[in-house]
Amino acid sequence: MNNFDLRRYRAMLKREVLEHPTLFFGAPVLEALLIVLILAWLQTFVPLEEKRLAVEYMAVLFNGLSPTDMAPIFMLLAIPFVASLYISAIVYLTNSLYQDRRDTSVLFWQSMPVSNLQTVLSKIVTIGVVVPLIYMGTLAIMYCIGAIWLTVMGLSYEVEVAGLGYMFMAALTSLALVYLSTVVASLWLLPTVGWLLLFSAFAKRTPLLWAIGAFILLGLIEGFVFNTQYLANWVESRSDPSGYLILSFGSVFDRLFTYDMLFGIAVGSILITGAVYMRRFID
Amino acid sequence: MNKIRNLIMKNRYTLLLTTIFAYILAVVVEGAVTGRDARVIDLENPFFDLDVRDFDEFREARSDDDDEADFDDR
Amino acid sequence: MNAIVEARALRKTFGDFQVLNNIDLNIPLGSITGLIGPNGAGKTTTLKALIGLCDVDGELTVAGRDPRESRHKLMEDVCFIADVGILPKWLRVNQIIDYVEAVHPRFDRSKAEKFLATTDIPAKKRIKELSKGMVTQLHLALVMAIDVKLLVLDEPTLGLDIIYRKEFYDRLLNDYFDGERTIIISTHQVEEIETLLSQLIFINRGEIVLDSQMSELADHYAEVVVDTANLAQADALQPIHKRKLLGKYAYTYEGVAKDKLQELGEVLVPSVSDLFVAKLKEERNEQL
Repeated sequence: MNNFDLRRYRAMLKREVLEHPTLFFGAPVLEALLIVLILAWLQTFVPLEEKRLAVEYMAVLFNGLSPTDMAPIFMLLAIPFVASLYISAIVYLTNSLYQDRRDTSVLFWQSMPVSNLQTVLSKIVTIGVVVPLIYMGTLAIMYCIGAIWLTVMGLSYEVEVAGLGYMFMAALTSLALVYLSTVVASLWLLPTVGWLLLFSAFAKRTPLLWAIGAFILLGLIEGFVFNTQYLANWVESRSDPSGYLILSFGSVFDRLFTYDMLFGIAVGSILITGAVYMRRFID
Repeated sequence: MNKIRNLIMKNRYTLLLTTIFAYILAVVVEGAVTGRDARVIDLENPFFDLDVRDFDEFREARSDDDDEADFDDR
Repeated sequence: MNAIVEARALRKTFGDFQVLNNIDLNIPLGSITGLIGPNGAGKTTTLKALIGLCDVDGELTVAGRDPRESRHKLMEDVCFIADVGILPKWLRVNQIIDYVEAVHPRFDRSKAEKFLATTDIPAKKRIKELSKGMVTQLHLALVMAIDVKLLVLDEPTLGLDIIYRKEFYDRLLNDYFDGERTIIISTHQVEEIETLLSQLIFINRGEIVLDSQMSELADHYAEVVVDTANLAQADALQPIHKRKLLGKYAYTYEGVAKDKLQELGEVLVPSVSDLFVAKLKEERNEQL
């Protein structure tokens, strides 16, 4: 890969992020802001003595503990963010190959020397790799604010605050785990990603309705003909990222190179290939 | 071969049906060969068992371990 | 001369509707070709087929490639402007320049910026905040900064006022066209481009009605302002079109010897728009 290619791929990803500032920046920042404000408001109801005790507990609890060992606790804090990332991903993917067809700007994008394969892959990389980074950045800033806040409180109560440093490090380390989890979970969800992209490229309007409708229709047919619900189970499993929590750095490869994971990637690629070819129909 | 390709690529509907058919075929064949349902990997996280009310117990357990807490996810 | 576009028997149907019916094209390198036809004649479909944005049957080679096989490779050699307003509205002016610069190997940023400096387009504005005319100017600035062999323009000035339209074509001819590049323009506003063209193609109902070099137009077509006394004689020579002209009649002939026509009255070269009307009416009469 030469320099031009690198710059070109970066520009393609940047284009995706620039198109959705509210989805990719607005949502996580607003969420972080809300959480900080609510916590700031709630703590006004807590008596001073209990606040002092709480800060002291935290400092004692984490003091001297390895951040990598404690990091999984802080993954809980990321749950609302992962949830909004998940919803953003659905909105983004269903619109990604549809919106530009609707406003005819697809004619401009297609007049650039970028192949359909590169276009579709850039959407997947955006939501699976780039956007989670934006989320982690937001969380990191939120944790910094929290750490400063706790430290200031601790100092004002004349509590030994050194342990809070360990806590902060554990919180930051947890972001690396959350990030790895989202990337690995994206791969696990690849069949669903492919399904959304396929209908995003296909539908002349309401791609999400098509995607859900086709799934329900196929499920009903399966139910009537075979009296089974294999498809529903399959889709449910491939829409649920919670199984892919990475709790320690060592487990990344165990999660990646499982038969189930690799099969999902293979079968998801069928749908993604379909989406790439579907991109020929732009009217 | 070229004729089949042309038939599939002719319009968006044939392409959609072909893609979905190939996808479902792959999933069903795999399911039949391995003889199992699609699985969800179960969540295993010891820290979800941590109860904040047992905080003192937790701290004691930690000091028993002589500051070498072993919090692997296994 | 080498051809940059070669097409044999292009066909395309939407259901029962035949959009393109055996279109043959041969467009030489270095020409400015006008593809002219009424709305719904198949102009846009033809142009989209040339750049791989629309699937057609038939043989097609553009800049040495089959556009249906490798659209993105072809786009390194071909540029395209469709009817105004296809630039992504949410991008800012400088962002779209950044994008094209990063993605297109033949883009020269300084050229685009030089062009934009002569317009009122602010670099930080979003495209949706620009007027229609400005969006077209911006698109032209982007395209003119790309060094390609073929430029395809599909109704590029649709919906623009006369000042923007004139400027668009002036720029195109003076700043861009160098005799080596090839330009294909489709429009239904014939008058504005007829002086630019070196080749003329009329298309109607998916078929080519006329395909001629501009320089050969005078050899095949003539317009005669017929004196009232000669009307019967003029009718006998089978004009393809007649129209009233200040009490006299202007007859348009195809492939009739000049010396015969000179007996009828003053012989002129028909304007492209008159010829266009003549050819289209002729076709309609045949169908009746």
